[in-house]
Amino acid sequence: MSQSDTTPIGTHRDDDHTDCDETPDAQTALSAPAVAASEPVGTPFDAEDLVVGYPTSEEAVVDGESLVAAPGQVTALVGPNGSGKSTLLKAMADQLAPEAGTVRLDGADVTEMDSKDLARRLGLLSQENVAPDSITVEKLVEHGRYPHRGFFDGLTEGDLDAIDRAIDLAGVDHLRERDVGSLSGGQKQLVWIAMILAQETDVLLLDEPTTFLDMHHQLEVMEIVETLRDESDKTVVVVLHDLQQAARLADHVVALKDGAVQSRGQPEDVVSEEMLADVFGIEATVTQSDIGPQITPLRPLHDDAGADRHR
Amino acid sequence: MAEDVTSGAEREAGESARFAWIDGSLLSLCLGSLALVVAAGLVQVSFGSYSMSVGEAWRSVVDTAVLLDERWLLNFLLGEELMRTVTGFQGELPELATETLIVWNIRLPRVFVAMLVGMNLAVSGAIFQAVTRNELASPFILGVSSGAGLLILLTLVVFPVLATALPLIAAAGGMGAFVLVYLIAWKGGTSPVRLVLAGVIVGTVFQSLQTGLFFFADDIGVVQSAIAWTTGSLTGTDWEQVRTALPWTIVAMGLALVGARQLNVLLLGERTASSLGMNVERMRFALSAVGVLAAAASIAVAGIVGFVGLIVPHVVRNVVGSDYKRLVVGCLFAGPALLVAADVGARLAIPVLMGGSGQLPVGIVTGLVGGPYFLYLMRKQEQLGEI
Repeated sequence: MSQSDTTPIGTHRDDDHTDCDETPDAQTALSAPAVAASEPVGTPFDAEDLVVGYPTSEEAVVDGESLVAAPGQVTALVGPNGSGKSTLLKAMADQLAPEAGTVRLDGADVTEMDSKDLARRLGLLSQENVAPDSITVEKLVEHGRYPHRGFFDGLTEGDLDAIDRAIDLAGVDHLRERDVGSLSGGQKQLVWIAMILAQETDVLLLDEPTTFLDMHHQLEVMEIVETLRDESDKTVVVVLHDLQQAARLADHVVALKDGAVQSRGQPEDVVSEEMLADVFGIEATVTQSDIGPQITPLRPLHDDAGADRHR
Repeated sequence: MAEDVTSGAEREAGESARFAWIDGSLLSLCLGSLALVVAAGLVQVSFGSYSMSVGEAWRSVVDTAVLLDERWLLNFLLGEELMRTVTGFQGELPELATETLIVWNIRLPRVFVAMLVGMNLAVSGAIFQAVTRNELASPFILGVSSGAGLLILLTLVVFPVLATALPLIAAAGGMGAFVLVYLIAWKGGTSPVRLVLAGVIVGTVFQSLQTGLFFFADDIGVVQSAIAWTTGSLTGTDWEQVRTALPWTIVAMGLALVGARQLNVLLLGERTASSLGMNVERMRFALSAVGVLAAAASIAVAGIVGFVGLIVPHVVRNVVGSDYKRLVVGCLFAGPALLVAADVGARLAIPVLMGGSGQLPVGIVTGLVGGPYFLYLMRKQEQLGEI
């Protein structure tokens, strides 16, 4: 029984301790009293006791983790390379079959759902995307309507409206007629985000949407996510490489290391000097500011934690 | 009233949007291909062992005694028996002029077979290039040609009594090899690379067996027949071949057109296609099956004609872009153009160049055209490989 179909939950206010045995139910019990009446509504989305690995290796990448996405809000997954963030996200999007555990979208097990039904409710932006160079931006965004169309269906008025809204929200209207092959990396990423937005899902999973982008396009992507956070009921889970961005963007931050959740909660609670040493193996100073915690990385720590980092 | 006007205008906008994908480049490609088919076809009907003037031959093509008589047309397209069932006509068919009979009975069907084979191979190649996401894929990449070739040799050398069923056996061999390739590649799922590798494995083994079988052929006639089949030839094709290929061609081409959007989504990569809700494995198998059906239909009537399925999608993609709706439509026109033109070369090369009599397998001509074209592409394009 999922906790999420019985309780309207908001942000989870966990401490920054590293207890991973906590079940989501226990978390809900802790956080339930703190839910304010004005919390945004959104689709509950959670993973329970998830074990995920790849067929090529024996060891599980994500080992028995639970994660509750804050409904209607933005949850950021952070952690060093190889910590299992992307793997966890793929499993939650039903793109990797978990060895154990369940992922529930609005109470329903995602592995049981028809793939098109799931794609109408959950969108995933992969880390790397490929498209033929000669496809136009508009055509690419149009593919976001795929799960909404039957095998023989043309585009309906509703589809065209959704495409317009997505292009508008992603701010790529001026690129509409351009070929994707002629765009810069940053522009391409915005176009891919537009495609995912055209899918019009309740839940949106973004895998490192800002990595490899210049600062302008990083901020463009963050602005889109901020708009989604402030103006929609979408439940967003985003994997971010940049802790600073995570702290600024997310209502809820989950820090992973070696496939286990080390710490979760509000950004100002999670982003601390201890967490940076524990999870990322660095010495850094953290100062609170108007736009969230500011991190100044100083040096790598060369103890066990530091060695782990290069696994 | 005002509402009616808007909805009318909207409908009009919808209608124009529905055909917006037919743009100038596609239209000119189709018209150019059509012109080439007509021109090459007219050359084909003008030459033959029965001597008639070019004017007489062309007049026979548009002879109203055939064109305006549905009994004659159905007689050609469906065969005499079916024609009589459909029309209920039991008498003798009206007499035709000798020239008309020769052109319609002997020379034209070869052009039609070439058109069907050309479109099948071109569309099949286009499908496999999307399925494997590789521009260098051809209809035969998943073992179809080696399976068909092996069974052709087996039939001709070991079981000559089955020679009348050779078209069917060859097509079945191609499909069998495709299934085998899929079984080998399958391990909880497939990937383009695994499929191509499995195709190479099956191709290598079958090719060796096929070559080995040549040693057991005791008659030069058998060897020549085997070579004609394995390089692809339109010599001696007839309305019978048109009737064999036409139904499968219609089915395969229809499915390819309907599946164009799925092919477009597959081009975005497995991960994206899957997260958009496509069942990638099922769709990939279904689309491959359509491609194999088209390839098998062409093998059944013309043997294994190489290069067409590789070059045509390339040429078309360079003109109309990678949108599969346009690509498939372009291939439907450009495939026949290449094959009908190549068949002119195959049929007339020996008489014109060497003054002798005899015909080349059309596959030799397509290979001679295809190699240099790829050389040109390799020099011109920076990247050749991934779509």
